[in-house]
Amino acid sequence: MKRKYTVGSGLLFLLIAGGVGYLIGLGLDALIMKNVRWTAPVPSAFSLLFAFTAFFFGVYGYRGITRGLVYQVVWTLIGGFIVTGIRVMMGLSVFGGFFFTEPAWVFGALVGAVAFLFGVGVMDDWVKWARGIDTPEFHEDEPGWEKFLGVSLDHKVIGIQYTVTALFLISVGGTFALIFRTELAASGLQFLNVGMNLFGQNGPQLYNTLMSLHGMIMIVSILLGIAGIINYAVPLLVGAHDMAFPRMNAFAYWVSVPAAVLLLMSLVLGGFDTGWTGYPPLSVKAPVGQQMFFLGVFIAGWSSILGALNVIATVVRMRARGMTAMRMPILVWASVATSIIALTATQLIGLSFQLVMFQRLFGMGFFDPAKGGNPVLFQHLFWFYSHPAVYVFVLPGLGVISELLPVFVRKPLFGYRWVAMSSLGIALVGFLVWAHHMFTSGMNEYLRVPFMYSTLLVAVPTGVKFFSWVATIWGGKIETPTPMLFVLGAIVVFLMGGLSGPPNATVSVDLHLHDTYFIVGHFHDTIFGGFVFPFFAAIYYWFPKATGRRMNEFWGKVHFWLMTPSFLILTFGMMRVGLLGMRRRIADYDPAQGFDTTHLILTIAAFAIALSVLIFLINFFHSIKHGEKAQGNVWNSRSPEWQVSSPMPAHNYETPFEVVGEPYDYGLPGSKYIDFVPAQGGKH
Amino acid sequence: MTHKQDKASMLNQGVFIFVYLAILTVLEFLVAASFNSTAVLIAVAFVKGALVVYYYMHVYKLNADHEGDHDSYEYKSGTNRLGLWLFLISDAFVFGGLLVMRMNLLGLTRPNLNQLLGLGVTSVLLISSFFMNRGETMIANGDRKGFLNNTLITFLLGLGFLIGVVFVEWRLAAHEGLTPSSGPAGAAFYMMTGMHAFHVLTGLVFLAIVWVNGRRGLYDDQHYPVEAAAVYWHFVDVVWIVFYPALYLVGTAIV
Amino acid sequence: MRHFVIVGILVIALAVLTYVGLDSAGLMPVPASAQAGPIDWLWDLQVKAMSFLFSLIVVPMLYSLLVFRRKKGDTTDAVHVEGNTTLEVVWTVIPLVVVLGMAFVGAQNLGETRRADPDAMVVNVTGFQWGWSFEYPEYGITSKELYLPVNKQVLLKMTSRDVIHSFWVPEFRVKQDLVPGRITELRITPTLLGDTYKVRCSEICGTSHAYMENPVIVVEKVAFDAWVAEQQALAAEAGQTPEGRGLALVTANGCRGCHSIDGSPGVGPTWFRLAGSEVPLSGGGTVIADDAFLAESILQPQAKIVAGFEAQQMPAYNFTEEQVADIIAYIKTLK
Repeated sequence: MKRKYTVGSGLLFLLIAGGVGYLIGLGLDALIMKNVRWTAPVPSAFSLLFAFTAFFFGVYGYRGITRGLVYQVVWTLIGGFIVTGIRVMMGLSVFGGFFFTEPAWVFGALVGAVAFLFGVGVMDDWVKWARGIDTPEFHEDEPGWEKFLGVSLDHKVIGIQYTVTALFLISVGGTFALIFRTELAASGLQFLNVGMNLFGQNGPQLYNTLMSLHGMIMIVSILLGIAGIINYAVPLLVGAHDMAFPRMNAFAYWVSVPAAVLLLMSLVLGGFDTGWTGYPPLSVKAPVGQQMFFLGVFIAGWSSILGALNVIATVVRMRARGMTAMRMPILVWASVATSIIALTATQLIGLSFQLVMFQRLFGMGFFDPAKGGNPVLFQHLFWFYSHPAVYVFVLPGLGVISELLPVFVRKPLFGYRWVAMSSLGIALVGFLVWAHHMFTSGMNEYLRVPFMYSTLLVAVPTGVKFFSWVATIWGGKIETPTPMLFVLGAIVVFLMGGLSGPPNATVSVDLHLHDTYFIVGHFHDTIFGGFVFPFFAAIYYWFPKATGRRMNEFWGKVHFWLMTPSFLILTFGMMRVGLLGMRRRIADYDPAQGFDTTHLILTIAAFAIALSVLIFLINFFHSIKHGEKAQGNVWNSRSPEWQVSSPMPAHNYETPFEVVGEPYDYGLPGSKYIDFVPAQGGKH
Repeated sequence: MTHKQDKASMLNQGVFIFVYLAILTVLEFLVAASFNSTAVLIAVAFVKGALVVYYYMHVYKLNADHEGDHDSYEYKSGTNRLGLWLFLISDAFVFGGLLVMRMNLLGLTRPNLNQLLGLGVTSVLLISSFFMNRGETMIANGDRKGFLNNTLITFLLGLGFLIGVVFVEWRLAAHEGLTPSSGPAGAAFYMMTGMHAFHVLTGLVFLAIVWVNGRRGLYDDQHYPVEAAAVYWHFVDVVWIVFYPALYLVGTAIV
Repeated sequence: MRHFVIVGILVIALAVLTYVGLDSAGLMPVPASAQAGPIDWLWDLQVKAMSFLFSLIVVPMLYSLLVFRRKKGDTTDAVHVEGNTTLEVVWTVIPLVVVLGMAFVGAQNLGETRRADPDAMVVNVTGFQWGWSFEYPEYGITSKELYLPVNKQVLLKMTSRDVIHSFWVPEFRVKQDLVPGRITELRITPTLLGDTYKVRCSEICGTSHAYMENPVIVVEKVAFDAWVAEQQALAAEAGQTPEGRGLALVTANGCRGCHSIDGSPGVGPTWFRLAGSEVPLSGGGTVIADDAFLAESILQPQAKIVAGFEAQQMPAYNFTEEQVADIIAYIKTLK
């Protein structure tokens, strides 16, 4: 296909379709409500859907992601009209302030999400298989950037798709954070005030929606981000030519796109004011946006589950010859540990959200005390995933730290076995600690002490990691290019998160800390230390592998030195006001508590972080084409992927390798990790 | 333990296991009707589940060789098998969560349901597993006709189960006043049977696909898809082996 | 060896410095309850532990970065050290013992904060969107301010009328959720007089969650008794007139959490000059806010929705006919 599509035409289409969608929505809304409502949900919803789709049409044409989005939009409407038709026959209410009624929106959104998958083409091979038609094992990708906007089965392409989608969602979630961070810069309501009305929400409601969406969009972006690193790196590290199930791998990525669309839809369809936790009964009362949120998370959960399944199968079945368990790169161990949690526990958040959805749709009283239900049951089901989830977020990042440290200190990873096993230890103990989020919830009181014990136990394997890292650094010949800076930053920031953890685990102190900004500061530290910093480290580190070029070192360092202190100020400030009485999730705070100055500083710090990420994004996209060429072993690493030239060829290693030594034996003369051996009968 | 591979002894094994399952089902029904011991019901369900997981789902096949030519059909089937089992483990957490929900909301009470119908649909599903096992054994031994017949019977029985639960049991229950919105018993009952019925439905689609493709001779040499369909079908059965006592037998009925 | 000595000294120095710095910053709000004592003690212990661990990790890291930094032109690898099992066992077992000890101490500490006084005064707390109501069953009064006598344990029996809320007065430290359909308990013994405390809802509960703050006032026993007598007299007096009874109902049910009485915007329409006015309805048309409309809006809020308030859902209230009449009488006084 000729390059007649550009970002410019995409933006043009975006504007036109956004306007057209807005007008259609405005007309429909006026028809139903007999009133022209400029800031109502429906025009915005149509505008969002149309604009998003049209942008990709302009950039890419009617194929791949564009076709998926068109299918999603069309089938959402068809699904909605089907339910509406049924409601007409049953004599129920047909249209409302959100155009469709709630059941119609839910059914339409579900149908639309499934339709997306058929539209984008990720189901094609499976449909053929079901019809008994054989397909080739691999499909050759288009050259250039266009392969990223359509279905590819190459794990490296999918890894990059994941990473870029994660960066996009981080930007969206970060923008939301900046909006409400600005609102919080002083006490009183600045612009999100009661008088305003946007998407059917007044200021404080919109604040709650943005705050809630910030949480969930960031969580989804983290899941996509770790999937990006794991997808890109793990098959390379274990010497496989791809993941075990390439089609499912593509499916797991593409299913996250309609999920992201649904999450954004929840913003315009009345929003929801429950925080990302969605506790009933509040989530039963919220507008239809809550349902879009639940559905979006549910679908994104499938991305995580299937991705995890693929990782475990790949590591178990696709390793190179000689790669015994104790010779696997440490990131592979971390990926397996994370995947065990994601594979199993994710089902429980899906289930808990599903139960609330059904409670709303069919009046099933799972969590409704008036119907014999139990609101606290939701919290148990929800946290059974959502606590281990934080280990899903951080374990790969900790794996990246352990993987990169030896390269830049030129020393073996100290206590390899202990570090590897500590990942599994954290993952397993992580299953037994969920109720520490519920110390004040009114659950059975005798459960609190055992959960305090189990929670504090997490400190032990985490401590092993820290001590091993310090011992690895000790006496090393340390170099500090950008990836190493982010690794060191990750250790320090994660340490802050780790140290502020135990007070929350001891029940009595947690009675003060629970649901305050102390918690907000604590988990931002753990997530930045466990995910964001390592994620950036990994991008700077593997960027040359993926593109054959390096990211700019100077701007990388600016990124680091701007982000790290700003971030530390941000979280310290959060913890400070939290201890003094600042509650979580509030649009406004009591000026009498004297937090105004601190919050102003926090807002400035937040903008500094945003600026640093902007610098990163520019550096990232600029370096793809204009970065300094780097096709060799840039970091002088022993890892197998660096022993071949960059960028990596389509099916990875042309000559398979055999593992003949330990992965991190830096400083041991004459040692080798791998040998390339020509295939003897078969590829491996 | 050695695993017999020849067709006759594998078919015989299927019969024996089915007889055990039938006896245990009758046993749990009688236990519930007489002295209703929760511990015994749990033990029986566990044994039944274990029998299906081992002898019908062949969980031991996961132990197959991890070495070998990565590109052989054999090795790829092994990878697929692992993937399927991982999926089932993941799915089991949904049903586990539903079970937790049920225990939390209802404790040792249960919805008041039609006992004979419950036993009936349970038997239908167990019998379908028996035929599924026969079908799989036959295609593994190159008997396409036997495979097709047995899979068709499995499909019809599965359809019978689905109709029995969704179109008969749900209507009867609603008629008795047990609706999704009537209370915790109704909510738990419809949610659990609904989620299970959805899995039965997907299993039926899966069976239909392997039947149609099998008729065209696609699985005469390489029959992993049949194995996958069978394992999934048995998994749905195992879930019901747990849900049946949880909904119909344990504790006292709320009138 | 020299390196270890220097690092050891630096670790201790930084640990002390960190602790002193954090301690002098005043991390916690004023302790104003007996329960704050053990909690602040344990927190302080944890700050000490944090300061030490912080130094233990950061000092050797920074020291290595500065001292063992790669010299210019050096391209060799570092010394090959794979690990040390003894060390690994040490830093597994010692933290294990420490966290088990911490958990044990934590359990004792929790027990101290829950010590029950059999003579505690009971207050029934009701949380709702968005406010609090405190009922003193011993005195037969209901207030939207929580008045407490100093040095006397109060047993809060709490429930919620709609969604989950959480009772927290930062100066009292302890916190407990209010769950609809059940009663949760919290014991507090205020120890410090004050009238600037506030109970702040700390579980997100919807639009005006941030403003779900009611005053908490700790006074001497004498002043408390005077307040009780005053409230009893006021309640008796208010009970005489429909407006007075209406105001009591409005307070007890937290209507003003959404409806302002001075014309300022809120989650629901204001009541200021509402009675008798012309109200625009969602979906077009207007209605005169007469007694019938006001009664309908209280009993079936979804029947007619005022334009601009489509997204908010007011719950239906189960008032008797007289109660509705009382509330309307009160609304009519707002001119």
